[in-house]
Amino acid sequence: MNNPATTHQPTDPETWVDRYGNYLYAFALSRVRNPSTAEEVVQETLLAALGARKNFKKQSSEKTWLTGILKHKIMDHFRKHAKELNDLRIDSTETPIETFFTENGQWRDKPALWAADPHELFKQKEFLAVLRYCLSVLPARQSDVFTLRELDGLSTADICKLFDITATNCWVILHRARMLLRNCVEKNWFNDPKQ
Amino acid sequence: MRMDHWLFNCKEISRLVSESMDRTLPVFQRIGIRIHLLMCRYCARFEKQLRFLRRAIRVYSSAVDNEHHPATLSEESCNRMKCKLHDHLRDQS
Repeated sequence: MNNPATTHQPTDPETWVDRYGNYLYAFALSRVRNPSTAEEVVQETLLAALGARKNFKKQSSEKTWLTGILKHKIMDHFRKHAKELNDLRIDSTETPIETFFTENGQWRDKPALWAADPHELFKQKEFLAVLRYCLSVLPARQSDVFTLRELDGLSTADICKLFDITATNCWVILHRARMLLRNCVEKNWFNDPKQ
Repeated sequence: MRMDHWLFNCKEISRLVSESMDRTLPVFQRIGIRIHLLMCRYCARFEKQLRFLRRAIRVYSSAVDNEHHPATLSEESCNRMKCKLHDHLRDQS
């Protein structure tokens, strides 16, 4: 094995999979949803890291450094995915906002009262599992845009650039995603009778 | 209770509430939302719930970052990756 004797040498790359594999995979899976895509992205990350080992700066931990590369790989995936989605014109299958409201703009299914203490709820694994499920069933494009916005905190301006869409389009997609997510969480977690 | 005839209806409010989480809305829209939310408990709930979900997703996201995410790579996948890394290392040397 090649191990050039530089002082800033990170750990042996052959141990990366054991050390960081699961973490990177879980991180990727929370963004890209599809297990085989997540695995692919992690694989690309490790190979890219291998080629860029000399750039590793000791100021950050190796895990942080690898996560940084992973984030770039995930962006690349989204960019490619956006092109595919545009080609397929998947938009037509997405739920229109109209289904949530009556003709004169009133709620069709009125938002229920969510009786819960947020601080208690956030501690519950079951609740986070419901949230994960509801994120996973969002339509593809909504999921991509919403994930970048809410999990990675990208601005809508950056998202527009990445997906080559207008700001208005971006807000519409985020609105739909939030409507669906809210609905899903309400159905699957809060069963309180409508008030 | 005539919010459907005044300023914005619930459908428009749901859009504006969502948009307010992505950018700063013009003042008249912000006032419109406030007034509507005072009069309409369903939209008030909606607004609270969207903010709650944003926080919940941050908690979820940090759970992933702190390795509390149940996803794990299969042994097969691990071996596949190790082989690839090994091959590349060999090519580099």
